[in-house]
Amino acid sequence: MKRKMAISLMLTAVICSSTLLGGCSSGTSGETKSGSGEQNGKIELEFWNVFTGSDGDILKEIVNNYNETNTDNIQINMDIMPNDTLQQKLPAAIATNTAPDLVLFGVENIAPYVANDSLEDISDFWETADVDESNFLDNVVELSYVDGKLYGTPMQYNVSYLYWNKDLFEAAGLDPETPPATLDELADFAEKCTDASKNQYGLALPVQTTYMQFLWANGGDADDPETGTNLLDSEENLATLQWLQDLAVNKKVTPVNSTGSDCDAMLQAGQIAMYFSGPWQINGLREQGINFGIAPCPAGTDGAYSPAGGCSYVIPKGTDQETKEAAYKFMKYWLSDEVLKEWSQKNGFPVWSETLMEDPEIQNDEVLSAISEATQIGRSYNLGYSLASQIDNDVMFPMFEKVLTGAASPEDALKEASAAMDTVLAGSN
Amino acid sequence: MKRKKKYQPHNQKAAYLFILPSMVILTVFVFIPLIASLVISLLNMNIFMNDISFAGLANFRKLFSDSRVSNATLNTVVFSLFQVPLQVGLALLLSMYVAKNNKYTKMLRSIYYLPFVCSMTAIGIVWSMLLDPNLGLVPYWLKQIGLESISFLKDPSLAMPTVIVITAWKGFGYTLTLITAAVLNISPSLYEAADIDGASAWTKFTHITIPGIFPTISFCIVTTTISSLQVFDQTYVMTQGGPLYKTETLVQYIYDRGFQTAPYDLGYASAISVYLFAIIAVVTFVLRKVVLNKGEESDA
Repeated sequence: MKRKMAISLMLTAVICSSTLLGGCSSGTSGETKSGSGEQNGKIELEFWNVFTGSDGDILKEIVNNYNETNTDNIQINMDIMPNDTLQQKLPAAIATNTAPDLVLFGVENIAPYVANDSLEDISDFWETADVDESNFLDNVVELSYVDGKLYGTPMQYNVSYLYWNKDLFEAAGLDPETPPATLDELADFAEKCTDASKNQYGLALPVQTTYMQFLWANGGDADDPETGTNLLDSEENLATLQWLQDLAVNKKVTPVNSTGSDCDAMLQAGQIAMYFSGPWQINGLREQGINFGIAPCPAGTDGAYSPAGGCSYVIPKGTDQETKEAAYKFMKYWLSDEVLKEWSQKNGFPVWSETLMEDPEIQNDEVLSAISEATQIGRSYNLGYSLASQIDNDVMFPMFEKVLTGAASPEDALKEASAAMDTVLAGSN
Repeated sequence: MKRKKKYQPHNQKAAYLFILPSMVILTVFVFIPLIASLVISLLNMNIFMNDISFAGLANFRKLFSDSRVSNATLNTVVFSLFQVPLQVGLALLLSMYVAKNNKYTKMLRSIYYLPFVCSMTAIGIVWSMLLDPNLGLVPYWLKQIGLESISFLKDPSLAMPTVIVITAWKGFGYTLTLITAAVLNISPSLYEAADIDGASAWTKFTHITIPGIFPTISFCIVTTTISSLQVFDQTYVMTQGGPLYKTETLVQYIYDRGFQTAPYDLGYASAISVYLFAIIAVVTFVLRKVVLNKGEESDA
């Protein structure tokens, strides 16, 4: 009797484990990297990116055009997904050898992925692909280097800009052509443009984001990524946060507790007079017929700065040599004058190559020249620092949220944030 | 006794075969992940799975000094404490009304059941649009009738109550269906006997209906509590844990540590999962003891 029972148990176990093994074996067959399969001599590249907005359509156009015209028999299959989805899928895909062959994401991701040995070193790119590195601005290309090794090729570069709605300025009795140049003017203009009865706000300050432009403008900072030093607890930062809380809580210039996407929508609806954001607002504002201008971030006691950002093409670890070479060819195509120019003109992104900065068509474009000027005050905020996203999530987002909503006094918020910063920085060792 | 022993093995063999499919599924999707998360909680491991090392109880020590874990625990408990009575209470109340079999009550029961079959994500998105202080319909109506615009999901003191009400609204149809079925199952002769004895409606409710449906109610309380302690979809879609972490629940925080914030610390996320598992195990055990004992008492 017992034996029969044992046999039936064993059978169960066998069936269970065979299901498991089945699961595994389908995993291994996926290991021969999905995209790099060669069919009819065609090299296929799986390409993941996070361009879910209208810029994604333009990217698709450029990629389709490449697929049709390239003479190397390369086919790029694009998969667009929201950033959180990509951040969930990519590390697991790399760990299980099912990663795509080419990824396009924010440069802030490069350092953490390199720290986990998940990206291919492509230091030989300039030479192999025969692209002149010196044609591109150093501060842009630098963002794709980690410890002297190249891990990506730049795709776009931008800083944060001040958008202002000229019609709302005029209605508030301000000169529609003069954006605020200093933080005092910014506060003053914001107050004048706010009209709660019309659901209209002078300056949108969403939560779950950072305002480094304000901290820097008054000579403050968050941390020093080189030495891992906590720079939060300073008189300058306290003064800035007090100013910010006064604006948000007392003068009520911003919709309370709004997210970035809420504010994007309100900006396009003409309910917001001023807003800090990247170039991706331009197309939406044009479509909605908003009469807007773009200015550099205003200056404080120490000067004017703006947090820089950008996107790079990277190749996940484990991609074979042939696929890598094909990816190089597409990267080279992107870095050509025509493609970079098309991208800038259609999306309003600043140009960052010597040849394009001298291009007369670019120089005559009103939006592009305004944005290129406003890009000069770009400054890196923890770019290339592997703790960057943890600092944002655990320290900076809560601090600004508490200050903006009035949930804590600037003193307490700063003290708490500084303690949290110590914890994050200590955890790195 | 002898006959019983002889008979058993045959019976068991067939039984194993019948439970095999669900055992396989449970093994793959429940037991293995459960054991894996227990193991991972003792490791230093991130999502890239490089440099895995043994961490001992370090993740658990970190957990007990992490203010976001205590905050998330509190939020989860508050959510369950209010959501469960609200949902079961609402279902009980309405079931008294719809526990008759006619066209009208059947229609009502289907309507109440509708939100339950919709996906929480879709419901969450619809509600956050309806309640949006700048673009939403509800604040607009409030304004039209002269009230101040309320930002339900963005006000730190209102966000959690709003999520609780929406969850109860979505789920009560299911509880209602179960309770109604139980009410309809009570033998009408009991009520007739009570009528003859001249019992009031309230006496009938407390002495016949409640004891008759008590096993169902306790089942509803236990299952709703377990699912409430695992609350995630609604907060993820509607508030992302905000404002000011006021709606950040334990599962939301586990997700954040494991999959949202670099360095994607799976070890730590697993440790919090084990902690949540322990909470749910204890709560379920206590609830079963308390609720089921009571049920037996009232049966007697």
